[in-house]
Amino acid sequence: MNEDREGAGGIEYVVGAEKRLCEILGDEEIMPILRSALRAGVSRIEVRDSKGRVLWACGDPTGGGGRAREVAPLCLEGEPAGSIMVEIPSSGRLRLRDFTGLLSEVMNTMITNNLKRMLTAEIHTTVVDQTHEELIETNRRLRASESRYRELAESLDRKVQERTEELKRIHTRLIQQEKAASIGLLAAGVAHEINTPLGFISSNLNTLKRYMSRFTEMLDFYRRIVGEAGDGVAEEAAKKWSDLKLGFVVRDVGELISQSLDGAERVRRIVADLKGFSHVDDSKEDVVDLNTEIERTFSVLAHEIPEDAEIERDYGSLPGFLCDPALVCQVFLNIILNSLQAKKGGLKLHVSTRFAGGDITVAFTDNGPGIPDDIRGRIFEPFFTTKDVGEGTGLGLTVTRDIVTAYGGDIEVESRPGAGTTFLVRLPAEGGRDVEVR
Amino acid sequence: MIEFDREEKRMVLKLVFYGPALSGKTTNLLRLHDLLAREGRGELMVLDTRDDRTIFFDLLPFFLVTPGGLKIKLKVYTVPGQVKHDATRKAVLQRADGVAFIADSRLSETANNYSSFENLEKNLAFVGIDIETVPLVIQFNKRDLSEIVPETDIERLWRPTGIPVFMASALQGWGVVETFGRLVELTYDAVDRKWGLREGYGLEREEFVRRLTLREQGR
Ligand SMILES: Nc1nc2c(ncn2[C@@H]2O[C@H](COP(=O)(O)OP(=O)(O)OP(=O)(O)O)[C@@H](O)[C@H]2O)c(=O)[nH]1
Ligand SMILES: Nc1ncnc2c1ncn2[C@@H]1O[C@H](COP(=O)(O)OP(=O)(O)OP(=O)(O)O)[C@@H](O)[C@H]1O
Ligand SMILES: [Mg+2]
Ligand SMILES: [Mg+2]
Repeated sequence: MNEDREGAGGIEYVVGAEKRLCEILGDEEIMPILRSALRAGVSRIEVRDSKGRVLWACGDPTGGGGRAREVAPLCLEGEPAGSIMVEIPSSGRLRLRDFTGLLSEVMNTMITNNLKRMLTAEIHTTVVDQTHEELIETNRRLRASESRYRELAESLDRKVQERTEELKRIHTRLIQQEKAASIGLLAAGVAHEINTPLGFISSNLNTLKRYMSRFTEMLDFYRRIVGEAGDGVAEEAAKKWSDLKLGFVVRDVGELISQSLDGAERVRRIVADLKGFSHVDDSKEDVVDLNTEIERTFSVLAHEIPEDAEIERDYGSLPGFLCDPALVCQVFLNIILNSLQAKKGGLKLHVSTRFAGGDITVAFTDNGPGIPDDIRGRIFEPFFTTKDVGEGTGLGLTVTRDIVTAYGGDIEVESRPGAGTTFLVRLPAEGGRDVEVR
Repeated sequence: MIEFDREEKRMVLKLVFYGPALSGKTTNLLRLHDLLAREGRGELMVLDTRDDRTIFFDLLPFFLVTPGGLKIKLKVYTVPGQVKHDATRKAVLQRADGVAFIADSRLSETANNYSSFENLEKNLAFVGIDIETVPLVIQFNKRDLSEIVPETDIERLWRPTGIPVFMASALQGWGVVETFGRLVELTYDAVDRKWGLREGYGLEREEFVRRLTLREQGR
């Protein structure tokens, strides 16, 4: 069959497809009728299709002469679909036309009823199948949209996580900045307070030094005059001079004033460092020597460093590094502070700087207790601390790493429990450009 | 079109009476069966009904042979109008060659007519038939009743669509053959355009329509 399937829309259910007579009628219903026709006196009976082929037959085919024959049509949906042929002996008592009419009526009714039954079954299964397929399709679509939603939810989860991390980072930085800022502000305030008295202390000391030289000059003059006097005056003066140990005093006073001036100068430097560290005055990017910045950090920490601590410096010569000095000082400060806190007595801290292959490396090695394996992976996490409440916020290394990575560098830790810790900071000498650190 | 077998020279066409529940689709078919000549049509098959409402479909088959020897079977189906039988409507609508939409003229049924027409549009699309090109006629049935939508309103509403509209009373038996005749005409045009009924099989449009709308003597 050359079926035209246009307009089917890809759906294969077609109700009421054409059927042939032999599909509609069955042996088990036709044969009893044919046999009972025979019993009624028919000698031959045949049911044929539209092409005249015999589908069912009963009785003696080789009737020859002496028989009457009648043919009646069988219809399928108004279309001639076959025929029924009845032969009786001419001598028989049957009324051939009426009998044939009756038989064709019976069969036509049977055809219609069977067809109806088949159509009912057909539409029923079609609808059931179709509904089933639609259900499956609906189900498939539902599942697809569900998985889409799940994906969406998952990516939402991820996004929320990312945002949270970012917020955490910003928060961390803010806290640290605030901390730094308040320290800086405090330092700046103290520095200012100290600067004024320090100013007149050094200037007064200088004046005092000048005055002292006048005093000693005058004293020398008197000693010469009195040394030549009689009446025991010279002896008395010499005794008084030595009793008062003025020889030593005159030698020592200049030294004392020099030392005081040195001390004042040191205080001035510390104060300048404090201001430099807090960068209250300027927080501009600048090309700096990192060795100088490390030294500056040490001097800020001077009061924190115990007497017995040994700081070994091994500075290589470094190219200028463009950065915000306040930030790199913070990097060094956090690392040094950790070592100071890790080893209270007998700390040895080795600091070395190198420039090689375009990178500046700064290594801090202490002889502290080291970092246990199980927490080494976590020390850079925000708020991770092993210290008591109030002593550590757990932000030091987080901020340190943030700053280092912002300058395009990285930071590594090497530590063996019991054998100290090394923090290795690597900064690309050119990496600091164009990077905005917030 | 359900089947077209060139070698056997046999074509099976399918027309579908669509519309809301109780609009008179089955009654239309019953009337066609009563009014049209016995010759060339088969028996009306009314598949199982429940309280006289169609559950599956009704089927009225016609059969004719063209002068060129082409056998044409035309099967006219009704669908069940009740909303819940949508799957059956889809199944019956498969590969239809033409559609008669039987609307209920009663004012109270206006909303049902609309939603049924929408349902027709949706299901035609579902089975891959283009509503713009499929032969389509509309019948406003039950014109014998009062409280019905005025003809002028119907005209105004449907004229712009270009779809032929017929007034009918299937109960009284008028307008039914006219509706069917016009649908047959449109279907002929569509099939002729595609398969050349006139040139290939010597079947004229008037002859086709005449044969299918031949009235039983005295009706
Ligand atoms: N007054 C009047 N009643 C009609 C007319 N046509 C049909 N009816 C009645 O409306 C009712 C429903 O008719 P059906 O032909 O069974 O309706 P249907 O469209 O086949 O309904 P479903 O099979 O449920 O979709 C019957 O009671 C009919 O007698 C008409 O032209 N006028
Ligand atoms: N040099 C070190 N030796 C031993 N443990 C260290 C050393 N440096 C860091 N750690 C460990 O890493 C943890 C995290 O250090 P981090 O500087 O981030 O936070 P903190 O020092 O605890 O607190 P904060 O620096 O914010 O005051 C410390 O609590 C400590 O356990
Ligand atoms: Mg710390
Ligand atoms: Mg019905």
